[in-house]
Amino acid sequence: MISFLRQPLAWFLCLSGALFIADARTSDQTESLVVTPAVRARIALLWETQMGTEPSASELESLIAGWIEEEVLYREALRLGLDREDSIIRRRLVQKLNFIAESDPVAEPEDATLLAFYNANLEDFRLPERFTFRQLTFRQEASAQAALIALSSGADAATLGESTMLNRAYSYRSALDLNSTFGMGFASRLDKALVGTWQGPVKSSFGFHLVLLTGVEPEQATPFSAARSKVISDYQQANKQHARQRYLENLINNTEIRIE
Amino acid sequence: MRNTITRKSQTPQRGLTKTALIPVLAVSSLITACSEPATQDSLTVTDTTLETTSVTAVRETNPLRNAYFGDLHVHTMYSFDAFIFGTTSSPDDAYDFARGKTIVHPAGFPMTLDRPLDFYGVTDHAFYLGIMRQMADPSTEISKHEAAEGLDKLTGAASRNAKFQDVIGFMRSDRGLEINDATIRKDAWSDIVAAANRHNDPGNFTAFIAYEYTSSGADSGNLHRNVIFRGDSAPELPFSRLDSLNPEDLWTWMDENRANGIESLAIPHNSNGSNGNMFSLSDWAGNPLDSAYSAKRMRNEPLVEITQVKGTSDTHPALSPNDEWADFEIMPYRIATMLQSEPNGSYLRQAYLNGISLDNEKGFNPFKVGVIGSSDTHNATYAGDEDDYWSKTGLRDADGVLRGSVPLDTPNADGSEYAVTAQNTWGASGLAGVWAEENTREALYDAFRRKETFGTTGPRMKVRFFAGYNLPELDDPQLLAKAYADGVPMGADLIAEPGDSPEFIAWVARDALSAPLQRIQIIKGWVANGIAEEQVIDIACSGGAAVDPATNRCPDNGARVNLSDCSISTSSGEAELRAKWRDPNFDASQNAFYYVRALENPTCRWSTWDALRAGVEPRPDMAATLQERAWSSPIWVTPTN
Repeated sequence: MISFLRQPLAWFLCLSGALFIADARTSDQTESLVVTPAVRARIALLWETQMGTEPSASELESLIAGWIEEEVLYREALRLGLDREDSIIRRRLVQKLNFIAESDPVAEPEDATLLAFYNANLEDFRLPERFTFRQLTFRQEASAQAALIALSSGADAATLGESTMLNRAYSYRSALDLNSTFGMGFASRLDKALVGTWQGPVKSSFGFHLVLLTGVEPEQATPFSAARSKVISDYQQANKQHARQRYLENLINNTEIRIE
Repeated sequence: MRNTITRKSQTPQRGLTKTALIPVLAVSSLITACSEPATQDSLTVTDTTLETTSVTAVRETNPLRNAYFGDLHVHTMYSFDAFIFGTTSSPDDAYDFARGKTIVHPAGFPMTLDRPLDFYGVTDHAFYLGIMRQMADPSTEISKHEAAEGLDKLTGAASRNAKFQDVIGFMRSDRGLEINDATIRKDAWSDIVAAANRHNDPGNFTAFIAYEYTSSGADSGNLHRNVIFRGDSAPELPFSRLDSLNPEDLWTWMDENRANGIESLAIPHNSNGSNGNMFSLSDWAGNPLDSAYSAKRMRNEPLVEITQVKGTSDTHPALSPNDEWADFEIMPYRIATMLQSEPNGSYLRQAYLNGISLDNEKGFNPFKVGVIGSSDTHNATYAGDEDDYWSKTGLRDADGVLRGSVPLDTPNADGSEYAVTAQNTWGASGLAGVWAEENTREALYDAFRRKETFGTTGPRMKVRFFAGYNLPELDDPQLLAKAYADGVPMGADLIAEPGDSPEFIAWVARDALSAPLQRIQIIKGWVANGIAEEQVIDIACSGGAAVDPATNRCPDNGARVNLSDCSISTSSGEAELRAKWRDPNFDASQNAFYYVRALENPTCRWSTWDALRAGVEPRPDMAATLQERAWSSPIWVTPTN
């Protein structure tokens, strides 16, 4: 029996039988169908959107005839309850409602809203402690020591240091950036208190470095003004993800659900 | 709906819970957000330029170009196979991972990069995009299709392997199209495009819109390509193998998109598993290649993926018997099978040589391509770290036993101790390196186009390579500026000057978090009297050692690995190596290519790390150590006339 029910033919037979009975019971009733000016206008506009020109009188006439045919069939289908318990229709309606629920809150956030979101999610807009510095690289520790002495007696840093693929200056680099560039532990070997003075030699994966810290920015939140575009995209993403959930929770709260 | 809800419950609840607080926070937030809010209108936030520049680094553009590292081959829950393997992470999750966040492997353990990537491209399979996920959701119409049976009940590796083979079989049958629902694919594709646009952050992180075109020949020879878009828009649906199995049709589609303002390029991968088809000398119809084919291929495919989890595609020991490093991470199978793949026509170095032969004989070269590496992860993450390796097919290879590096609890019927699986021929690899002025879609993409790229097996080694006739000395402080001004970088052509031999500069810096460098090599290929020739020449050795002129080899630098704990010797190896080199056998009348291969000191392979952590001996028939490496795109030297 179960395998019989899986056959499309079986479903066809059942459904057409039911339709026949339903139709026999109800087809004597009549109903009015009015083609209002609003309907005419909508049909004409749809044509224009698709074809690029207004429909001619005869085209409009045939469009309206088509609409009447469709509307009659649609109403009859509704009357027969064909929209209920049909999984395709059910799915389409749910999709449509979800789309409406998702799309609504994405529109045009105001600054006050964005600021609130920004403050509620500050951890996502946090900038770590960052270092700005110049550095000289040496393969041997002794060369680095000698250069440090030369610097203390007024030598020009631009004339010192060995050629390397590392940069001679870095701006706003986090400890993670430093460790990734110079090797694990490099950032913690810098003396953050020594700003404006050459320090070292500091060991790295590349050798030994003299470092001139020129600025250490403390860990802080990115100001709203600088983070604004990320705030907008995070806000829209979060809202899109959760609007559907809010909408659903709201519906569930307003529905008495009994599981028997 | 089940899968959707599962995933959603993992995402932070901030939007739901915290936006409810908006009215309360709206006022107080103004005070915390601006350092000096007093003079501002209470509902207007004005941008203060001073503040912006002092806090965020100014977008730096370097005309001498920076090296950026990324992965351009990543599968998420939208790929039919990744979903069957247990991956429920989305493109958003994958981009979050690339930027440093932790995401969870289907087997339950966390996956985190030791440092973020600079760029990333999610490349889900275009065919059946998003379909498996919808089929596993019992509320959907498509879940009622017979091919969906069991998809919502997959458990361990065995059931997933079986279902994967099942689904592949169905897809390849005449009925495959029954489940290729366009609405589902469009929804998935628009989510992929939106995720890339959302995560793209010019100056900091580049997210490319991308996908995989997954074609193969009748013999299961692999013809896969990743398609990378330059901009923020893409066609409504990606061109898939169900549109055509013929890659030339993909190029036609890309040409048409280009004419409509949508620029893209395709990157073939796993030529090693193509059974000789990827670099075949005939076209799809079986005709010899011609200049129109060559121009079309070059217009659309400037790069090839030289390394990834499923092996390397540089060369094969059978093709390069005199290259001692040719037998490296060779994956012998055709993709998604256990059938052997024919090496001839499947490897890049031979394609370069064939390209030169075609150039000599017919005046066109369809294989003038640069290289990148990428992972091909199906876990929505990455897979290039030997000591943090989770392979790439979800629950099928989540631990050492499953991927064949740790003995089975119960031996096989024939007495063998390890799982019999293709995964034991795979490796932890790879990464794409790009020289670009700044980290933006445009700058990186343009570097792909000019092939100023290199591939690594995972470490972030930086490889510079130039050729020219008046290159600066190696210790010149203006080395890079002069090399760019007077020479050409990797990926370019150099026109030979009669009677003079060009200079080459190769300069490589180690990855600070990996092993030091052992040597730099140049690989040269040319065709003399119709015979293809290749040569591997060491040009810089660690410890300042000299290259033996008779063998062109550096002496052994003594670097060793302690297999009991995977520690490496610290007394040898270099942070940087560089050399200026002339080819003693240069012939200005010949077409030739030159590329760099840089080798690290040996380190433990993933399989050894697996064994060490499981407290067992490393599998004896697997290499215990490997030399991580980088390959540059070639420079082609062409005769004047």
